[in-house]
Order: sequence, then C-alpha cells, then structure tokens
Amino acid sequence: MQVRNFCIIAHIDHGKSTLADRLLEFTGTVTKREMKEQLLDDLALERERGITIKARAVSMRYEHQGETYELNLIDTPGHVDFQYEVSRSLACCEGALLLVDAFQGVEAQTVANAYAALEHELSIIPVINKIDLTHARPDEVAFEMEQSLGCEPDTIVKVSAKAGIGIEDLLTTVIEKVPSPGGSADAPLQAMVFDSNYDDYRGAITYIRVMNGTVRKGQKIRFLRAGSEHEVVEMGQFRPHRTSCDSLQAGQVGYLICNIKSLKDVHIGDTVSTPGKDAAQPLTGYSRPKRMVYCGLFPSDGQDFSELRDALGKLSINDPSFEFEPETSDALGFGFRCGFLGLLHMEIVQQRLEHESDVDLVQTAPNVTYEIVDKRGETLTIHKPQDVPDPGDIEEFRQPIVRCSIVVPNEYIGAVIKLCQERRGIQQGQEYLGPTRAMLVYDIPLAEVIYDLHDRIKSSTRGYGTLDYEMRGYEAADLVRMDILVNGNRVDALSVVCHRADAQRRGRAVVKKLKTEIDRHMFEVAVQAAIGSRVIARETVSAIRKNVTAKCYGGDITRKRKLLQKQKEGKKRMKAIGSVEISQKAFMSVLSTGEEG
Amino acid sequence: MMSTASETSRPPSWPSPTAAYIHIPFCRHRCGYCNFSVLAGRDDLADRFLEALRWELSRLEQPQTVDTLFIGGGTPTHLPPAWLERLLQLLADWLPLADDGEFSVEANPGDIDRPRLERLRAAGVNRISLGVQSFAADKLRILQRDHDEAQARTAVEQAAEALGNVSIDLIFAAPEETLEGWQRDLAIAAELPITHLSTYALTFEKGTEFWTRRARGGLRQADEDLELQMYQYARQAGAAAGLAQYEISNFARPGRQCRHNLGYWRGRPWYGFGPGATGFLAGQRRTNHRSPTTYIRRCLDGSDPAQECETITVEHWAYERAAFGVRMIEGVDLEAIRLDTEVDLRKTRSQEIADCRRWGLVRLEGEHLQLTEKGIAVADTVSAALL
Repeated sequence: MQVRNFCIIAHIDHGKSTLADRLLEFTGTVTKREMKEQLLDDLALERERGITIKARAVSMRYEHQGETYELNLIDTPGHVDFQYEVSRSLACCEGALLLVDAFQGVEAQTVANAYAALEHELSIIPVINKIDLTHARPDEVAFEMEQSLGCEPDTIVKVSAKAGIGIEDLLTTVIEKVPSPGGSADAPLQAMVFDSNYDDYRGAITYIRVMNGTVRKGQKIRFLRAGSEHEVVEMGQFRPHRTSCDSLQAGQVGYLICNIKSLKDVHIGDTVSTPGKDAAQPLTGYSRPKRMVYCGLFPSDGQDFSELRDALGKLSINDPSFEFEPETSDALGFGFRCGFLGLLHMEIVQQRLEHESDVDLVQTAPNVTYEIVDKRGETLTIHKPQDVPDPGDIEEFRQPIVRCSIVVPNEYIGAVIKLCQERRGIQQGQEYLGPTRAMLVYDIPLAEVIYDLHDRIKSSTRGYGTLDYEMRGYEAADLVRMDILVNGNRVDALSVVCHRADAQRRGRAVVKKLKTEIDRHMFEVAVQAAIGSRVIARETVSAIRKNVTAKCYGGDITRKRKLLQKQKEGKKRMKAIGSVEISQKAFMSVLSTGEEG
Repeated sequence: MMSTASETSRPPSWPSPTAAYIHIPFCRHRCGYCNFSVLAGRDDLADRFLEALRWELSRLEQPQTVDTLFIGGGTPTHLPPAWLERLLQLLADWLPLADDGEFSVEANPGDIDRPRLERLRAAGVNRISLGVQSFAADKLRILQRDHDEAQARTAVEQAAEALGNVSIDLIFAAPEETLEGWQRDLAIAAELPITHLSTYALTFEKGTEFWTRRARGGLRQADEDLELQMYQYARQAGAAAGLAQYEISNFARPGRQCRHNLGYWRGRPWYGFGPGATGFLAGQRRTNHRSPTTYIRRCLDGSDPAQECETITVEHWAYERAAFGVRMIEGVDLEAIRLDTEVDLRKTRSQEIADCRRWGLVRLEGEHLQLTEKGIAVADTVSAALL
C-alpha cells in the first residue's frame, strides 16, 4: 500500500482542527455521527484555548484512481514553546499543508512553522481556508503567501473546511505532491519516537514513524538514546481510535505499547531499533527538552502542599517536559520550583492544575533561565533570581535571546517598532507581506517577551499583531538581581532579575504597591528595593498610633472579641519577614500586578 | 485552642449575677449614627412592651437582689412619667436593689424634666447618664441631636439637684469637628456639676445612616491624627477637672466610677432584659432579639426572646477577662484570673505579653498587667494579644 505522511501548519484559529475533522470524515475514517467537533483536540482544555498541545497521528485509508493509499496525518503543536516537538513531528513527514485563513492572511506563526517545514525539506502544499467567508480576500492572501513564503499562486488549493469545499482536490494534491516515504522494509529497524502519552491501564504509548525496517508485535526493541530494552506488547495505528496490527514497516506511522510505566522513560526524538549489534544508527536531531521559563508555585494555604505535590506529579506523568522540585520560601512557605518549555506551556500547566485539583495557587513572577560566569570562571545556570550571586561575584550575566517574528498591519508598524526598541530589541529585518501588512523581525531578550510583550503587541495593534519566536542563544547583558527588603530582610519570593536601567522604575513600583498591602505594625516598617547592598527605592509604613474601640460594654463583648480574634487569626496566617507580618494577599498583589508602573 | 475544654479538671462554678441591665427601646427619633435597638415614633407599643418585659422578668421565678441596676436605651425617660413609674415598679418587684446599690438610668437632655427626675429619685435611682454628646449647635445638628446647649446645661443642673450623681456622654471626632470645638465642649463639661464623663470617638456602624452617607462620600470621617489629638486632649482635660480616667473612655471623680460597667470589664455575670439586651450567666452569653417588635411578640407568645446564645467556657472567660479588663486604667490582675479559671496568662500568653512590653504598651508588675500611656491609644492591639 502506498503511504503519504503529512502534517498541517497553521496559525491559531485558521481552521486546522476543522480541516483535520473534514479529512477524517471525507476518507470515511469516522462517520459524521461519530464526529464530535475538533476530534483531534481531545483535551477539553485544548479545545477551550483552540490550541493543539500534543501531537497526535491519525491513519486514514483513501481510494484514489483505483489504488488505496494510507494517509497519515501527524498533528503538530502550533506553538513555539513546543519547537522541539514540532521539529520531531516534521521529521516524520514528507509533506505539509500550509493552511492560511482567507481573511486573516499570513501570521507570524505561519511563517515560523513554514520555515521549519522547509528546513526539513517537506513538500509544502499551500492551502487557503474559509474561502466561503463573506470577508474572504483569497487573492490578497495568495499574494501574501507568495511574498512571504514563496508559494506560487496557481498551486494554492482553496477550501472551506467548515463547509467541506475543496476537500477532494486537497486529498488529490496530497497524493500527487507529497513524496512517498523512502526506506526499506528489510533494513535494520529504525523508527523515530515523535510523541507519547500515558494510558492509565496500558502505561506509556509511544508514537513512532518507521524510517527503515519492520517492527513486529512481540519482538524486542531498544531505545537507542535511552539505552532501554522492551518487548512490544501491542502495536497499531490510530484510525482514529487505537487499532492494533501485527507489524509496521518503513514509511508507516503508528504506536507501540511496551509495558513502560512512566513517560519519563520515553524520550521524544529517540530512535527505536533492535537490541544487539545489528541495531541501526540513531536518528539525528535528538535533544532533551529545554525548560526556558521557571516560576514558583505555592499553595495559597500552606496545608495544601502535599495535595499540590500529588497534582504536579500526576501532571508530569502526562507531560515529561514539565519539571518541578520542592522549594521553600520565607514568604510563601513550602512549594515547588517549576520549569516549562515556555510561557504558554506554563499557562497550560497552571490551568490544568486549576482544573484538575482544588489547590488555590500562588505563582511567583516567571523568569527565564540565566547563565552567569562567576569570578572563578565557572558558568552557573540560574533558574530562580534568589540563586543569582552577589554583584561582586559576577563576571558575566547572560540571558536567552529569541528571534521574534511579528506580523502587523502597516499602520501599526511604528507602534510595534517602538515597543520592540523599549524591550531592548535589535531589528533583524522588515519585509512587506502584501500591500497592507508587514513582518518585523527582532532579536529580543526572552525575559522581555515573557514579561508582557505579547499582550502589549496585541493591545498596541488592536489585536491584529501576531508574534512568534525561536531561541537564538545566550548573550551577555547588563542585568542585576533586584531584591525587595522589609526592614532590612530580603523577601525571597519578590527578587527579580532585570536590566539595570529598569531596576529603579520597577523597584519603585513594587515598594509602592507593597507599602499599601502591609498592615501597620507597632513599629515603622521600611520597604526597600535594592541591588546588592545599594537601596534604589524606599517607602515607609508608619507605625500604628491608634487602635482602640471607645465603647465597650456588656453587649459589645462578644462582637468585639470576635473582631479581635479574627485579627489575630489573620495574623497567624501571615508570614513573618523578620518581625514584620505580611499577608499572603500582599505577596499575591505584588506578584500579580507584576512590576509595571 | 479556646475550644479545648479546660473545665474537665474542675467543674466551672460561675458566680451568680449581682447586676442587671434593662433595655428600653423608645426614642423620639433615631440619630444617624445610632445602631442600638431603638423604636422611634411607636410610643403606642409602650404598654405591650411593659407586658413583654414583665413576662421576661417573670422567668427569674423569684425576685433577685442586685448590686447594680442599669436602665439604658433608647431613651428610658422618653415616655410619660406615669409610664416610667410603672416600669420602675416592675423592676422594684423583680430586681430589688441592695442597700448600697447603684441604680443608673440613661436620659436625654431634651426629655428629662423635674417630674421625671422626681419619680426616678423616688424609685431609688442614684445615678443618671445624660446623652449630651456636645454643647455646640453645629455638631449637635450634624449628630441629629434635638437639644441645644441651654437645655443640656439645665438638664445637668436639674439632674444634679435631684440625684446628685450625674454622668454625661460626649462624642468627639464628629464630621467637621475641630480640635478647638472639642476643647470648648470639654471646658463646658468641666464647669458643670458632673461626677462622671464618658467620651467616645464617633464610630460609623454598619446599617446606620452615617455609614451609608460616609460610603457615598456625603460624610467625612475625622482623620486619625485629629481623633488621636482629641482623645489625648480629653484625657488631659478630664484629669485637670478632677475626673480621673479609669477606663479607655471613662472618667470619674473619686468613688464615682460606674460600678455597673466595672462589672462588665471585670467579667462579672449580669442579667439582661429587653430587646437587644445581653446577659451573661452560668457560662452563657445570651442576646435578645434586636427588633423591639419581635421581642415583644416573642415574649407575649411566651417564647424565648433570645436571638443568640454563646457558651463561654471557663478558659474563654479567662482570656476575655484579661482582654477587656486591661481596658481599665488600674489594669487587670492575672493572678485573680488564674485563681478563678486555672488559666495562667503569664504562661499561656507569655510571648504576646513580651511583645507588648517590648513595644512599650504594657507594664507587668508581679501579676498586675497595666496599659502604659502609649498602650492606652492602642488598647485593641493589647486586647487582641491577650485573647
């Protein structure tokens, strides 16, 4: 049977899931009745956000000119946080549908992913979706695709996934344009692991694309990178439900179940081969997930610590790219330092925690992973601001830089350029996608991007601007650790790393905010921002001078006592920074407003 | 920790009450800051109220002699002298006063007159507390009081003639009030034949007109510094006039402290009757329904008028006595509390007491805990620490 392996590349909301549904339906893989909206995104959360987080692979059968084809649709995550996963998925395909909304046109994410597909030498099939929309502008969009992606306008397939227009044409194009996979069924087994998920009954389910050779049920396999060996207990394909079979051969896509108890033992990008000396070479491009964004997660009620630990443990079973370790904060108590692939990944994990457990969370301001070269010449990797050494010990402070592609309507170019410059961006390019829109390319510190760049781009372009970014590497910068001190004691949870030039502005905003949130004490409380031992901002909470109820007779005693007890209970729940008692709410308000101002 | 029953080691033996409070809800009108149980414009309920009170008193089963009796309101003297006489007779029947007992009645300068004073005197009332609040016309208008300076002076003088033992209430930190205005109020008070003075910073209570008006921005609360200045001035002026401060808000000539109120701060039990009245006996603190009409209906139906009932364990009692007792300027005797309750606050609250001492809020001499000058202005901080 002839095989075609392909994926769909699209910006959020451009209709990827709907198109996938239509392909499944048109090929008879599922009936209309079975079709629930957006079949591929089977996590409620993903549906809520309209984002496909985890790759899936569906195997379809389609008759074309008397021949049956196996069409494998490999679903890729759309967001840059999952750049590595995207690259592994692309490595399993020979073709990509480049899907663009007939009204929205080319977006930053489309461009970034299209370039990634080109790097993997995939055949690109340009598709314009939603051509039935009243406001569709297919000709202009075709022009944009030509300008930015080099698509020839006459090769663009026009469809409406929702209305089912052009689906047959599209399938024909896939069969004709996407090369059939190479590889030999008789060669030593060599298969790429491109995804995995966890089944409560069966353990890890490993998604593979066979590059060479044949894998058979019952055989011994070896993960070449992990160095572990397993027996294939079950294998098969998703059609779209798990359908077992006895073998998969070069070119095919499917799953393996090998009694693997944890997803931590299945590494995306690993190579499946046979044990022993006849094993194939490992496939190239393998790496371990890199956590780029870290934050502290604390239960807002300290007692929920073990509940939070269980919830995080459960989550990480299904998401090995997320990591966590216990962390203790004077201010927030016991919690966890959590590492994420990126900002979106962090948001997803947090939302899942909220959905799947009842723990009320406090999150510290996210930070990126820094590198510091100390005076002894050692390079330290820093996941939390508290670990930054004192200024005198730092030789060089490095931060991750990302290349941002920002697509904006022409009238907002000025505003976005200004924003990028404020965020210490260095322009790398600017091109016009068409008569109305342009793409700006900037190298910007990741810290600035996670701070609020995306929101700011959205708000300064009335929602039309789109942003995508990819890692470039680490660069030295004039960074400092800014601490917040309360009566001279450092509040660990509030330390941040920022650019020296921003420290004063941010410090002033934090101390001002914190001042309003700290109850008055019997003594004066100094709230300071400092770099090392140098104080850069200060506010003072004056001491209590008066706290007395005038009227207090027999009928007032119960009410008064309850009031005073409430005060006292509230104080008990506060955290003591030195002798200053600060409520959880105070920390939260500072953390949630960030340091704007 | 207060819920752990320490009385397991020893059954509580609560003293019997020797004090009674009777709440009379009738008033000419409700002032904007008042959140008491008050009935304005319903004098028609006066007879039914007396019937209700009679029923509630009858639950005593037999007359109880008390050392202190306090009739508060409302305005106990609002209704006509004949009605007042019936009330006083009813109380005499059920709550006879001990020989050297203290019998206080609250009154308003606008209501009190010679016939009423005469009836009070004849019934054994030996202390009157007048709701003067101020002598200044502007402040009285803002507070919605219906008397003027002349009426207030006359009321004090006549009451002093009739009963010889007059207390007045003065409010400070009213909206728009200045320190100079407050000084004038205190100067007038000092000239008058009073034996006792209570001063209260105006509070904005939920559910009052003032509360709503402040929320809408129509009334401006005095700022904290001014309020504190006014309070400190009152303390000085009281001392200069021979009225020694004996509690946060109370000043008296020697031997003229209100014994009834001292009982509250010392944690003594008392009977409470009337709408919204609280009583404390046998480890139960019960408060009657605040609505006078509900109170009347329940009593006349023969059902319990209590709205809330709280059990006070002996341990609870120990901490309350410390927290409220410390409001007295003479301080509170922790050893006396220990003897009654087996709770030794010097041990169970050692950290809290140490903190308060470190901040200069209290003195601890032997078993005697007393607010310092600095502590008086932050007495609630000390109370909270002791609870």
